Order: sequence, then structure tokens, then C-alpha cells
Amino acid sequence: MLVFLARRLAYMALTMLVLSLIVFLVLEFSPGSIATKVLGPYSSEEQRAIWLEENGYNEPLFVRYFDWLGGFVTGDLGESIKYKVPVNDILWDRLANTGILGLATFLVMIPLSLTLGVLAGMKEGSFQDRSISVVGIVFTSVPEFASAVLLSTIFVFGLGLLPGTSGMTDGFNFVELILPVMVLVLYDFGYVARMTRASMAEVMTTHYIRTAVLKGLPYRVVIMKHALRNALIAPFTVIMLQINWLLSGVIVVEFFFAYKGFGALLLEASLAQDIYVIEACAMVAVFVAVSTQTLADIGYTYLNPRIRFS
Amino acid sequence: MARNGKAKVHPYVPEIYEQFKKGEVDRREFLRTATLLGVSATAAYAMVGQVTGESFAPKARAATPKMGGNMRCSMRVQEMTDPATFDWTQKSNQARQIIEYLTVTGTDNVTRPYLAEKWEASDDLKTWTLHLRKGVKWNNGDDFGADDVVHNFERWLDPATGSSNIGLFSGMVENVDTGKKDKDGNAVMSKRMISGAVEKVDEHTVRLNLRSPELAVPENLYNYPTAIVHRKFDEMGGDLSKNPIGTGPFEQVEYRVGEKYVVKKRPGYWGGDVYLDGITYIDHGDDYSALLNALISGQVDMVYEVDITQIDIVEKVPHLVLHEAVTAQTGVARMQMDQKPFDDIRVRQAVQACIDHQKLLDIAYRGRGAVGEDHHVAPIHPEYFALPKMKPDYDKAKKLLADAGHGGGLKLKIDLGSADKWHADAMQVMREQLAPAGIELELNIMPGSSYWEVWDKTPFGFTSWTHRPLGVMVLNLAYRAGVPWNESHYSNPEFESALNDASATLDVAERKKKMEKVQSILQTDAIMVQPLWRAVFSATSKKVAGYATHPTQYHDFRKVGFSA
Repeated sequence: MLVFLARRLAYMALTMLVLSLIVFLVLEFSPGSIATKVLGPYSSEEQRAIWLEENGYNEPLFVRYFDWLGGFVTGDLGESIKYKVPVNDILWDRLANTGILGLATFLVMIPLSLTLGVLAGMKEGSFQDRSISVVGIVFTSVPEFASAVLLSTIFVFGLGLLPGTSGMTDGFNFVELILPVMVLVLYDFGYVARMTRASMAEVMTTHYIRTAVLKGLPYRVVIMKHALRNALIAPFTVIMLQINWLLSGVIVVEFFFAYKGFGALLLEASLAQDIYVIEACAMVAVFVAVSTQTLADIGYTYLNPRIRFS
Repeated sequence: MARNGKAKVHPYVPEIYEQFKKGEVDRREFLRTATLLGVSATAAYAMVGQVTGESFAPKARAATPKMGGNMRCSMRVQEMTDPATFDWTQKSNQARQIIEYLTVTGTDNVTRPYLAEKWEASDDLKTWTLHLRKGVKWNNGDDFGADDVVHNFERWLDPATGSSNIGLFSGMVENVDTGKKDKDGNAVMSKRMISGAVEKVDEHTVRLNLRSPELAVPENLYNYPTAIVHRKFDEMGGDLSKNPIGTGPFEQVEYRVGEKYVVKKRPGYWGGDVYLDGITYIDHGDDYSALLNALISGQVDMVYEVDITQIDIVEKVPHLVLHEAVTAQTGVARMQMDQKPFDDIRVRQAVQACIDHQKLLDIAYRGRGAVGEDHHVAPIHPEYFALPKMKPDYDKAKKLLADAGHGGGLKLKIDLGSADKWHADAMQVMREQLAPAGIELELNIMPGSSYWEVWDKTPFGFTSWTHRPLGVMVLNLAYRAGVPWNESHYSNPEFESALNDASATLDVAERKKKMEKVQSILQTDAIMVQPLWRAVFSATSKKVAGYATHPTQYHDFRKVGFSA
């Protein structure tokens, strides 16, 4: 077990190292001079040359890469070009905000989609199955920006029940979280529900379930004790992937509702070519992706005894 | 004649007053020039009233606000380190609540006293004496005075500060040889303040000594990077957000870049009653719809700007008020005259000959503004001369193209930023208008920040230009050979001679006549297609009283509040 964990963590570190080099090189060769980005389009050639010298940009590429990596490892993420404050001052608050949004979405979406998926998969082809599948597909097909507009039209402008933006200006406000969570749940629940349904339907056709039913166990016991655990193996991986998506892929929702999250920060940084923020965001996103995948791998071995620590 | 206290009245004031009485200059230009020359706004309006019979005071605002309340405004909250290097109006709006300017130019284009209670210009407009207001205190308890103003001029005109004010006060600056050579062996020049250009006369009087005449000095003192900081600003770290020392009506309470900026009313403010208890700027990002959603759902009381595509929505929501300002804000599709194929004037003129400016305005900006005339002087500029209207002429365009060797068609690519949607709309319309002449235009739309990397390098680019109260200010900045912002690489000695002649003419009617030549040369040289002059919009809740949109979108909230 310890060897397995050590190996997974070593793979994780190696993946991050390779990706850090890719992120660094991509941004290093992005169009335009970093000095112009920092000093603005009206700066003189002389000012730019001095800035590049002072900030070590005349050093060889690999020296700068290790400087940057060293800074990153020790917690020095550089200074934002746009906001003129250390990246650390912005990044972690934004990540925490996205974490709150992701957690709220999870708390609603996972029980809902698992319940609907199990209900649909219990009796494949039934009216119940088809209704849930159709509703899930319809909602998943609607892009987030469209459902954001639709829900705003209903709940903000039509009924006047909810606020139009979710900036949390005066601290955490649950009401401001409702619309972004609704949009994310609508967009994602169908996907997880369908994965659960497919897995459940497959389990329901296995011999041991048929045996359990034939030996007279109550249907509820068959489902809860025998079918459910096996049916959750496939959705578990999907759910772990959703964590990754919720932390770095909810740009549209954050932008639309002016939610001060990680995705919106990454978008703004990209548009402003705020290179240190982009680098930090990219590395955080890589870390989240790699660590959720590692967690999924570990969790999978527990859920499925047929997979060994090898 | 009314006088500005005991100050001497400039000799041109009686002259322009006579011109106004005879109808040779309009009311707007009389008010502007008289106040710039030191006549108080009240006196200038009274002089207008004697001629037109109208009330001598400017129109009263819709309602007198009640005391109290916190106003929430949706606007980007940006870094605000050094006011002298501000490059966005939003930064100045944050700072404007805590620091102040020497003058203030209102929405009526009239410049009034602010930290300077009056000023005088010498007859030749080369010496300006600023009389500073007494009894003004910084919020750290220090007295405001001449040392503060002198220090601000010194740092603006020091190239190390990196302030655009160095171009604004070019009459106080000289070029010096740095002793270095560039890669072509030419001497590298630098600017510095002329010795004695600013002098402290006494504790509350400062004199500016210019080497060339300048009428717009009081207007320039309200340009957004000219807010006055404390004389020890640099010693205190040179960062306003960390040391928010100001003379303004509010004090900084909370500053979270990219999120919110909060100020509260300052006790003992010198400028009389301030209605609001505080202001909160909330950053809702770059999405105009988020701003409007926040306003409609009552999360904010006003928004910094409403996009042209949203004005119908605002007008339909009962509890909102749309505010519109006519401006000299524009964009130019400029062609670099030293780059192929634009080095051939016939190509540039062919492009220009295809353009229906009225249609561009109607389609790209819903007709809310004024038609562009390809010479970068706006109808609202006081020196504007109305040239004959331009009309599309495809036969002329085809002939010019054929003569230039492009009879078989011409492919062009224009670079533009994506930040303002109307830019792309205008260029789409232009593409359609160029097509019948055989010109195929490709639009290269890039992120705003990427465009600012190439704005002065690309052969064909669409650049936005902000409002300036005088047309010649932009012409001096952008169309003189060798100036940093000459993005079209335009160079025409005849144009510069005509511009010098017009700039040096104080007589308004005379200057207008001279501008005919300036505008005609620029239009004929065809270095730009200027689609339109745009109006700008903002919106407030009906509860907000005393607010009007400024052409430069400045937020002066000293007399803004909530209706009783």
C-alpha cells in the first residue's frame, strides 16, 4: 500500500514538473514583450530595456525557469501586472470562492444525480428511466450561458426574487449563490445521472443480483446492499473529474454572475496577458487535476476489490 | 463687467464678449474661453444672460439631494498607485473621491475653480498665476499650499515619473541630449522641465512660465492624471492606495483591487455640504450585462457605463434613468502612410471614397453620436470648421484603385481589439462598404491588450481615442511628425504649419477659419477613416439625484446624493 501511494505521488510530482515546463515555455513565447505588458504601450524602449535587465530577463532561459520554479515552490508567485499586487494576495481568495461555489454545487448535484441515476437504472427502459434520461440530456445540452440568461430572466427580472450578480461584496451571501449553483447543477447533473444509470443498469443484469432477487430478498435490500456499491464505481471516477471541472472550468458562470472566482481570474489574466497570474492559475489547475486523478485512482481500489495495489 | 474677484481681466475677454454679442462666436465657446481666461463661471453666465435674457445661473439639477446614504456604483476597481501615471478613467474615479484637482471642467464644458480659487493669464498667455484656496487641509492635518502644487508639477514633468502630463504641459518642457546614441547613431533625446517653469510666489500662489502661448492650461489641470497629491507623496512610498492622503470630500475605508473600493465622508471638508455618507465601487468585471443585472436587481445604484446595445433595456425599466453625454470620443481606422499599400495616397483615398459615414454611425452606433469626417476634429470642439459633407463615390474609388495598379482588386487586413464591441461592428460595416469597389477587408480581432502591443506598429489598425475638450489637443498628440502617438506615421509640413498658425490664434472666429485648412489637409491626405463620434451612456436608479454623465466619464460626487 505504501509503495503504491509513494509511486502515485512520484508520478504526480513528475507530471507537474513536466507541465510546469510546458506552461513556462508557452507563456515565455507568447506574443509581445513582457516589458511592454508591465510598463504599458506608451513606455519607451529605454524604459523597457532597463526593466528587462532589472528583472533578470536577460538571463538564459533555463536559469529563469528554475528561478520561477524555485519561487513557485517557496510561495513567491510574482506580482500581478494588472493589479500591481502580489499574486498570492488575489489567487487564494479567488480559489476559496470557487471552492465554496463548487462545494455548494456538489452538495446539491451529487445526491440529486445519484438518486436519479439509480432510479433510472433500476428498471431499464421503463417510463421512469426514459423520463429521467430525457430531462437529463435536455438540461445538459443547454450551454451554461443560455441557462444563466434564462434563469436570470425568470428569477431576477421576472419574479424579482434573486440578485442579478454574485459578487459577495458584503461578505458571504447565500442568496447570491443560488443562481450560479442552479446553472451549474442543471448543466452537470444529467451527465453524472446518466453515468450512474448506465452503471446501475449493468449491475442489475448481473447473476448475483438475479440470485438475490430469486432467493426472496426484499427489492430495497437488493438495491441498497448489493447493487449500489458496485454501481457507484464508474460514477466515482466521473465525480472526481467534476471536482476538477468545478475548480477551473466554471469560467462562463463566474463571468456572467460577476462571481469573484478562480475561473474569472484566469479569464481576466489571459485577456490582460497578466503573465504571473496566468502561470500561477495554470499551475494550480494542474495541481487540482493531477491530485483529483490520484485520489480517484486510490479511491477506485477501495471501491473495486478486483483492482489491486499494483 | 463682472470680474473674478480683484483679478485683472484678460484683454481678450471684452473682445470675445463683443464677438458673442454680434453672434460671431456661440454661447458655448464664449463661456469656455471666458472661464479659461479667469472669469468666474457665475460672471460668465451672467454676461451670457445680458445678451440672451436667460437665467445667469446654469440650469438647476433635477432635485436637491437629501443628506445621507451610501451610493453603490458598478465599475472596475483597478490599481491606483500613482495618480500621475493613471491610464484609465476608472482609476481616477476611485482616486477622485479622496484627492482633488486645481480646476474642474463641468458637463457644460465650463472650467471652474477647485483647489485653485482663481487664476490669471498674461496677455500673451505664457504666464499663468494660480491663486490657491486657503484653509484647505489634507486629511493628515497638514495645510494645503503652494509647495504641494510645485511638487506635483515637478514630478509630472520628470521623465522618471512616466506621466503623460509631460506631453500636456509641453510648453514647460525642453528636449535635452542624453549623451547616448541609438543603434543608428542618432542622439537619444530626453525631456525635462525648463528651469523656472513653475515657481512658488507665496504660500498660496504659484506661477507657471511657459515658453509658448497656451489657452487650455486650466482645462489641462482637470485632465485625469493631474490630481494633486501631498508634497510628501513620494517620501510616503509613492502609493496612494497604501497612503490615501488627500484633500477630498471622502476618505478611503477599504480597497480590494478587482473587488471593491469603499470611501466615507470626511469631517471638516472645506467644500461645504457633501450629501453622501459614503461611496462603494463594486467590480462586476468586463461584462456589461453583469453591470446592468446588478443595477436592475438593486444591488447597485448606478453603473459606470451602459453599452449602446443596452440602452433600450434601460429605457424600459421603470426605476432606472439613462444618462447620455455628447462627447469627442471616437475611433480611427488609420493607415500608415509609409507602409504598403498605403504609401500610395490613391489607395488611401480609394478606401475613403467608399465610406458612407452616416450609415456607419446608424448601423454601428445606432445613430447616437455624430458623423465622422476623417480629420479628427469633432463638431463639439470649439474650433471645429464644418467642411462639405463627405459622400461615397465608387466610380472615383475604382478609378483611384486602377490608377494605383489595383484594378483587379485589393486585399487589406485591419487589426482591432475586442474590448469595445462597436469597433468590430463599425469595421464589419466598413468591410461591406469597401466590397463594391473590389476591396476585400479582413478583420483581425484580437484581445484588447494584444492590440495595444501593435497599435502604433500595424500598417492598418483601428484605435480608440478618448474625449478631449479641444480638437488641436489630439492633432498635436497624434498627427505631428515624430510625436510618440503618431500611429499613422503622418508627416506633412504644410499641415503642421497650418496647425501652428491655428493653435497660436486666440481669436475664436479667426481660429475657426484657420482650422478649415488644417481639417481639409488631413481629410485630403486620407490617413484615416473615422466612422463616428460616439455618445457615452451611464444609468442610475431614480433615487440618485444631482448626477449627470461627464463626457470623459469622470465621477464628481461632491453634490450627488439620494432624492428626498
